[in-house]
Order: sequence, then structure tokens, then C-alpha cells
Amino acid sequence: MTLRVDDLRVSTGGRRLVGPVGFTVEPGRPLVILGETGAGKSLIAQAVMGSLPRGLIASGAVSLDGARVDALPRGAREALWGRRIAILPQEPWRALDPLMRNLSQVAETHAEVAGQDWAQARTLARADLADLGLGAQAAAARPGQLSGGMAQRVAFAAATAAGARTLLADEPTKGLDDARRNDVARLLRRFVEGGGVLIAITHDIAVARALGGDVMILRDGEVLETGPSERILSDPQSDYGRALVEADPENWPFWTSTAAGAPVLAAEAITVGRGGRALLGGLTFALREGARIGVIGPSGLGKTSLLDTLAGLIEPMSGRLLRHGAGERPLAVQKLFQDPPAAFAPLATLAEQFRDLARRHGLVPQAIPALMQRLGLAPELLDRRPAQVSGGELQRLALARVLALRPAAILADEPTSRLDPVTQRNVMAVIGEAAEEAGAAVMLVTHNGALAQRWAGTVLDLARHAVAAEGVVVQTPERASAA
Amino acid sequence: MTTAMARAARWTIRPAAAQSLGGLILGRLIQALIVALVVGVVGFAMLESLPGDAAYRIAAGRYGHDMVSAAAAEQVRAELGLDRPSWVRLLAWVGHLLTFDLGQTAVTGERVVDAIAHQLGHSVLLAALAVGLALLIATPIGVMAGLNPGGLFDRITGVAAILLRATPAFLLGVVLILLIAVRMRAAPAAGHAHGASAFLPALTLGLVLASVLTRVIRNAVVRTVSSEAFQFARHKGLSTGAALWRHGARNAAAPVVAYLGVQTALLLEGVVVVESVFAWPGIGHALTHAVFERDVTMLQGTALALGLSFVLLSFLIDLACRAIDPRTRG
Amino acid sequence: MTAPGMTTGVGPITLGGMRPGRVIGLVGAGVIVALTITGPDLVGYDPARQNLRAVLAPPGTAGHLLGTDHLGRDMAARILGGAQLTLGLAALAVGTAAAFGVSLGMLAGWRGGWTDRLLGAFADGVLALPGLLLVMLLAAIRPDSWWTLYAGLSLTLWVEFFRVARQRARVLTAGEAVQAAELLGLGRWHIVRRHLWPDLAQQVLTLAAFGGATVVTALATLGFISVGLRPPTPEWGVMMSELLPSWRSAPWAIAAPILALATTVLCLRLIAGEETEA
Repeated sequence: MTLRVDDLRVSTGGRRLVGPVGFTVEPGRPLVILGETGAGKSLIAQAVMGSLPRGLIASGAVSLDGARVDALPRGAREALWGRRIAILPQEPWRALDPLMRNLSQVAETHAEVAGQDWAQARTLARADLADLGLGAQAAAARPGQLSGGMAQRVAFAAATAAGARTLLADEPTKGLDDARRNDVARLLRRFVEGGGVLIAITHDIAVARALGGDVMILRDGEVLETGPSERILSDPQSDYGRALVEADPENWPFWTSTAAGAPVLAAEAITVGRGGRALLGGLTFALREGARIGVIGPSGLGKTSLLDTLAGLIEPMSGRLLRHGAGERPLAVQKLFQDPPAAFAPLATLAEQFRDLARRHGLVPQAIPALMQRLGLAPELLDRRPAQVSGGELQRLALARVLALRPAAILADEPTSRLDPVTQRNVMAVIGEAAEEAGAAVMLVTHNGALAQRWAGTVLDLARHAVAAEGVVVQTPERASAA
Repeated sequence: MTTAMARAARWTIRPAAAQSLGGLILGRLIQALIVALVVGVVGFAMLESLPGDAAYRIAAGRYGHDMVSAAAAEQVRAELGLDRPSWVRLLAWVGHLLTFDLGQTAVTGERVVDAIAHQLGHSVLLAALAVGLALLIATPIGVMAGLNPGGLFDRITGVAAILLRATPAFLLGVVLILLIAVRMRAAPAAGHAHGASAFLPALTLGLVLASVLTRVIRNAVVRTVSSEAFQFARHKGLSTGAALWRHGARNAAAPVVAYLGVQTALLLEGVVVVESVFAWPGIGHALTHAVFERDVTMLQGTALALGLSFVLLSFLIDLACRAIDPRTRG
Repeated sequence: MTAPGMTTGVGPITLGGMRPGRVIGLVGAGVIVALTITGPDLVGYDPARQNLRAVLAPPGTAGHLLGTDHLGRDMAARILGGAQLTLGLAALAVGTAAAFGVSLGMLAGWRGGWTDRLLGAFADGVLALPGLLLVMLLAAIRPDSWWTLYAGLSLTLWVEFFRVARQRARVLTAGEAVQAAELLGLGRWHIVRRHLWPDLAQQVLTLAAFGGATVVTALATLGFISVGLRPPTPEWGVMMSELLPSWRSAPWAIAAPILALATTVLCLRLIAGEETEA
């Protein structure tokens, strides 16, 4: 069983979007297509599957086990779906039917596609789910009641139940935190080791590293290089490949802390909670001038609530929050948000938004242009609305907005998790340098452990109740039980 | 984009807000109480604004015009304390209404309860026929338009729906009357085709309901078929038919049924208007008559019956939503 | 970067970012409003003046552009008089409803707590009865009263504005953009002006057009079934009910208010768009 693609191109209205792309994938050796958003990665999967949206045209050859499938009539092509070739969707919690129980979504593939009778189909589905570590409770639940990782496993079972041994996984880890990303990688790894043919499409180098096999680097629809994973990920030849690999937080240099200054914001045994429910308890630490603290932990632990508490947006449920020195000024604690476009007024131009800020706080007229120049931002950007500016630029604009108020502490909530790796690298570097110049403390919340380890001087792992070092005193934080 | 999201958010906020069954029942009971209060206050205000001695009018309302005597009026005066301040009388009046003693109509002296019981049958028949017709018209058209959005059929039915919806219900009724009259070469009796046939009024109301319902169904089908869930079902290997049946029908039905809840208001307004235009002897017709003739007891009875039907229908739709979409269960 | 050219060519054809339906509706409504403002003066007749020697005259007779009605009154003057009455009521009722609905909705959605609960309960109370029924009941207290209709229609209409404004204010003030603005100390006025209002403006226009159509329809409906304004007021619904008996001898007479009503409602609905998404 082999999947072979030759000279594949996808175009619309005469404009080429992807290609030419060619590769062969054998059982047991996956191909990882690596590239940033908008590089046309998903189009390759759709072209192989034969499910491109109307208006997009594919050319080239796609062969399954030596037989051309791209020229098949539509009905015959669709007959391969589920039986020979399957797709693992992005964000499976949206791809599963929200109204149907998980078991039925797997069982119906056995029944409707593989032709089993329904009783048998349900038995098989139950076994499939159990095999993936999903018990009777998860089987009886609906997708909305599952975590992202569990939903991905249900989708995997549903997609492959009719015997497809060729799997196209399209951004299978999108929106998942480190631990769940590793779960999905293990799931795919197991499929490959069982003799499956796998193409994984991702922007995450960690997924590529975990899966092994071959890697293809794609940019603007063009293949830059292809080769064994070990070689490409350690010694890429193309400029973009090098940038991509260097941008992987695993390859960042460690930040060496300069001497931390006086404390600006201190938490004394605070309990963080939202809506009357305690999330994190017994946290004691101090944010010092020029210090960086990285906060990691799985989703849903209360990382954002911790930042909101420090910013004064919600009250701590117990304990004290103290501001010292520069931290005592009003507006001394500022925040950077995860989704840059969501942090600006969407319908006003950036110029209007900065003008409001300057007027309100009596800033000197040159302050904003000077800051923008310092952060490498073109002045023309101001004429646009937030949606017309790239995520990386917008996050730097958000930083400029925050720096204009000379903050003592900057709380950054996953500021780069929506950015592609190269941009992430740049933005994190800019945040670090600018904060250092301004003498501001930074608390960075991230789901990426490697990034936190290298970018911040100190790491506070909320999951492991960890205690860390210089500039911070952390008492063992406990996961408070629901009040 | 923001508006589209806001719109989506608005539709989901009511039907999809998870609520316990107890909370749902309580909410609808409160709504019923508000209906009774509004009706009672309006009845009271009408009574106060009428000329003449209130005690006589109320006695006439309760016992019929022939039975009114000075003694009966005095009894009413004493019982309701008509010399008390108006807010006390208002409370007494509304309190009396809550005992469901609706009294007699000022015009014929018939007991209001009997009159309403008789009219209710006509109104239910009209409403059921209209809803049936609307579903019969809207479902196939909506589904066909939704399966091929942007196609010729979709565009033609879309324009037709807009034109139809822009025609007020009474106007549609008038136009239908005139068209039929021209066809039959028979003059409609003073414009009101006398309540012989249920067909024209039901068709009028059915078309009004269908005009919106068609597009609601069409949009629900479009959204369902273009959803990632539907696409994934196809990629699992399900045929289009199987995917539509197993994943399309129920997912598309959820917003449609939720929308029917919104449409109950349109249905009841339509019942009032269409019955009045066609002189269909139902509750809506009786209500307009009561308003016109300033018949307080009849007005209260009919308004209460319509208002409580509205509450009951809304509750039934709530239950249907819960049955279809388990996420709305608290 | 999101290339500005990416989205054009996808979706329905638009003119200056507007649906063609909305453009047609706006143009039509513009013409109707211009005619309305000029009013009966345009045709030089008093809509109330009877001339029993020229009843049900066909259009064009003796300077009567649209003919006369069963009492010899000039139809064109009556249509325009009706337009002033109808559109004036619509504008005032929708304006009142929008002003109260949007401001109270923003307040409720932003402040939350008891403000939200009280205002929300009031809105639910208004929704306890179908809107037209509520207006009818209020109209029953004082028949043939413009002010009662105005109050009743404003009362039923404000809820939609309130619900939308509250919902958006709730979402937006809990969102990151407003949180950021608060942390940056930008103040409430900035939040209303840059965040809440721009988000709501489009929907307020849509709801206002729907509201206008609702008022025009309700007024004519109530007039036609004799529970709204009454003769001799030149109101379109009243006129239809007066002219229906003579439809066979003078079909043009009843056609005039029918067309006036239908075009006005159609234009307003075209501006509003499909209500399944409103």
C-alpha cells in the first residue's frame, strides 16, 4: 500500500496556489508537510482526497497502490473515502456531529460504510474506542463533553473504522496544549507503526519531530525541500527552512537574567478563582523590575485567571496582592493578549485608537511614532484597521500601546500562540528587549514549555506545583478543589 | 463578520441557553401571570375610561344587561369597594380576574367562557391548517433551495419570499379575496367573505408563515451541509443521502424548531388579523369586535385566551427544542 | 496579512459594500420620504375636502392625479396625507424605541447585576404577549388615538433594540478589546464610541428598518380591521377598508393605498434584509 503524488498543482482562475508537489509515502514511514498558515498545506490534503472546494482545480497524478485515482469519476473517487483513504480533520470538536453520541459516530462508519449490521457495528465501535482509551462513559457522551484530545481520538476512530489505511491528518494538533499535542502525536505514531500510510500537515515542528519519517517544507504553495526528518530538522538547506528550524523554541538560546531589580508586584498566598470557583491556591511570588517569569500548565488550569487577578481585573479570593515602587502608579500593570486582533477595536483605524490613547493620557505627539520605529513598525500601518494588519505586527502594535504608558509589569497571555513560528520568534525577542529597556517585569503565560524555559528566567509550572528560583518565591501551589 | 457573528449569537442565546425543566416551567408560569396582569390592567383602564356609573357597568358585565338592578349595582359597589382609591380597586379587579370568572359579554349577554370555548375551536382549526400549509410549502422549497444555494431556484424562491413577506397579512387576505372574487365573478360580501370556507384564511396565514419559514429552513440546510461535521461525515465514507439523513436532518431541524418559537408570535398576530379580515368566527375576530365595541369582559376573555395560548405554544416549542438538541437541557 | 483583495469576488455582488437589495430599498425609501415631506401640498388638494359631485372619479379627472374616493376627496392628497401620518409615526416610534433600547441595552449588558436583571425582566414582560396584541389592547383603552398607538408601538419595538444591544454589550465588554481599553485607562466614552457603537450601528439600522416596516404594517392593519385610527383620517388601512366595497366600480381607488403600503413596507424590508438572520 502506497500513496504516490506526482506534479500536483492546485489553481484557481489560472492562479497557481500550490505546486508542483510530488512525493511517495510508504506504510510505516510518514510524511510531514510543514509550513505556516496560508502555505496551501490543506489544499494538498483536499486534492489528494478529491474534495477541493468548487472553483479550485487540481492537476497532476495521485495514485493509490499504483492505480491512478485522480482521473476517477466523482462517485468512484468518493467510494474510496473511509474505505481506502481517510482524513483526520482540524479541530475535531467541530467536525463531529454535536448532537450525536460518540459511539454512534464511530458505529455508523462500520454500519453505513463497511456494511456491518448495526449490533455488530456498535460492538466494533465500542472496541475501537476502548482501544484508544475511551471508556463507556466517553462513548455515551457527545463531542461537546470531551476534551480536545479525546475528541481527536473519536474522530480518528470514526474516520478509519471502515478500514482506510491511508490517513491525511490536517493540522491535527491545532488548538491543543503540549500534553494533548503529544497524545495526538502518539496516536498517529501508533497508526504508522501498525502499517498505516500517513501524511500529517502541521505548522508545529514538535509534531514533525515526534512523528519522524520524511519532512517536506512548504512556503507559498511551493516545496522548498524534502528529506528525512532527522536531516531536515537539524540541517535544513533553504533559508526559510533554516528560519523555521531556528524558530523552534527547542532551538532558542537560554535567556540569561540580568540582575533583577526591586519588586513591583507581589502576591502573598493568593487564591485565584473565577465566578466563586477557586482555581489556583497558595501562590506567593514577586515580580521584579526587569525580571521574566514564564507560567506554564495545561489548559483550563487558571493561567488566564491568574493574569487577570494580577492585573486587578478580578479580585483574589484570598491572600494579598501588593504593589511596590513603580508598580504603585495607576495603569502600571498592563496586559498583552493571545489573539492580537481581538485586543483592538475592530472597526476603528489604529491611528484613531492611538490618538484616543495619546489624548487621554496627554502623551507627547512623538511618543507613538518613536515607539513604533523602535519596534520595527512602519508608520503606514496606522492607517489600517486591525484586521488589515498581520498578527505579528498587531502584537507589536499592542506592545507599543502598552509601552506608551511606561508599565512596571507586563502580563503576556500566550502572546504568540496564534502566530507562525518565525513570527513568534521575532515577537518574543521584541517583547523581551523592549521590556528590558523599559525596566518592566514580564509574566509570560504559555502552553509551550520549551519556550518558557528558554525565554523566561524563571518558570512557574502550575501543573507540577513547581517552585522556581531567583526573583521569585513560590510556595507549593495547590490545585484548589471546587468551592 | 462581526454582524454575522452577532446575528448568530442572537439566535443561539434564547433557544440554546441551557435551562432546567423546572426553570423553564417557572419562566412560562411567570409569563402567564404577566399576561393575566396586563389583560387585567387594560380591562380596568378601559372600564375606568368608559362613561357612566362603573357599578352598573360591572354588574351588567357579570350578570347580563337584563339582570342589572340598583341592588345588583350596590352589591358590586360594596364588594369591589368602588369608593376606594383606584389602585385598591385595580388590585381587586385583577384579583377577581385571576379567579377566572370572566363574566358575560356586554353585547349578547352570553357567558364569556362559553363564547370563548366555541371560538377556540375555530381558531385552533385555522391555526393548525395554516401551520400545516406553511410546513407543506416551506419544507420542500427550503430544502431544495438550501441544497443548491445561489442556484436559480434558490434565487427565485428568495425573491418570492421577500415580496411575500413584505405584504402585510391583511393585505394578502384582501388581495386573495379580490383575486378569487374576480375569478368567481362574485362580489365578496362587503369585503368579508363570510366564514364559510377555511381555505382562504388558512392559505393567507399559511403563506405569511411560509414566507419566512422557507428562508429559515433554507439557511439551516445551507449551514448544515456546509458544516465541517457534514463534510467529515462524507469523508468518513457516508453517501450524501446517508450523511443528510443522519447528520443533516436533525442539525438543520434544531434552528428551525427554535425559530418556530419566534414564529408563534407571528402566528397569533396572524390569527387575529386574518380572522378579522375573513370574519372567521374565532377568538381573534371576537377580540377585534370587543375592542371595537368596547366590550370589556369579552376583551379580557379573548385576550387572556390568546395570551395563554401563546404561552402554551412557546412552552411546547421549548420542549421540542430540548428533545432535538440535548445541549439545551440544563 | 489579510490581503484586501482576497474577499472580493466571493459572495453576492455588492455596491459600495452594500447588498443590491439594500441599495434598491434605500433609493425607494428616499423617494417615498421626499414625497412624504412635500405632502398633500404637492397636489394642491386638502385630503379632507369632500366633493360629492365627483365621487370615485378615475385618475386624471379634473386635476385629480389618482382620482377621487367615494366622498370625492382627492386620492393623491389622501395617500400623501396618509404617508405623513404613517411615516411620521414610524420615525418617531422607531426613534424612541432605538434610543431607549440601545442605551438601556448597553447599560444592562455592561453593568450586569441588578440593572441587567430588572431591565431584562421588563423586556421579558413586554414579550409575554405578541406585539400586535399588546398594541391592540392599549389601543382599546383610548380608541382612535395617535398617541396611544405611538406609545404602544414604541413599547413593543424597544425590546428588539434592547436585546441586541444588551447581548453585544455583554459579549464585547467581557472581550479582550474592552478589557485592554480598560487596562489602558481609556475611559467609558472611548469604549462606547470605538467598541460598542461601531459594532451595533449596522444592526441598529437593520432593526430600525424592520421596526419601520412593523409600524407601517401595524398601523394599516389596525386601521383596516377598525381598531386603530378611524375615518375620516387619511390612513392607508382605513382607506382600504372604506374603498373595498367599491372595488368593482373603482379598482384604481383601492389600488392606490394598497400600492403605497406594499411599496413602503417592501422598501423598508429590502433595507433590513432577511429577518431569519436579523
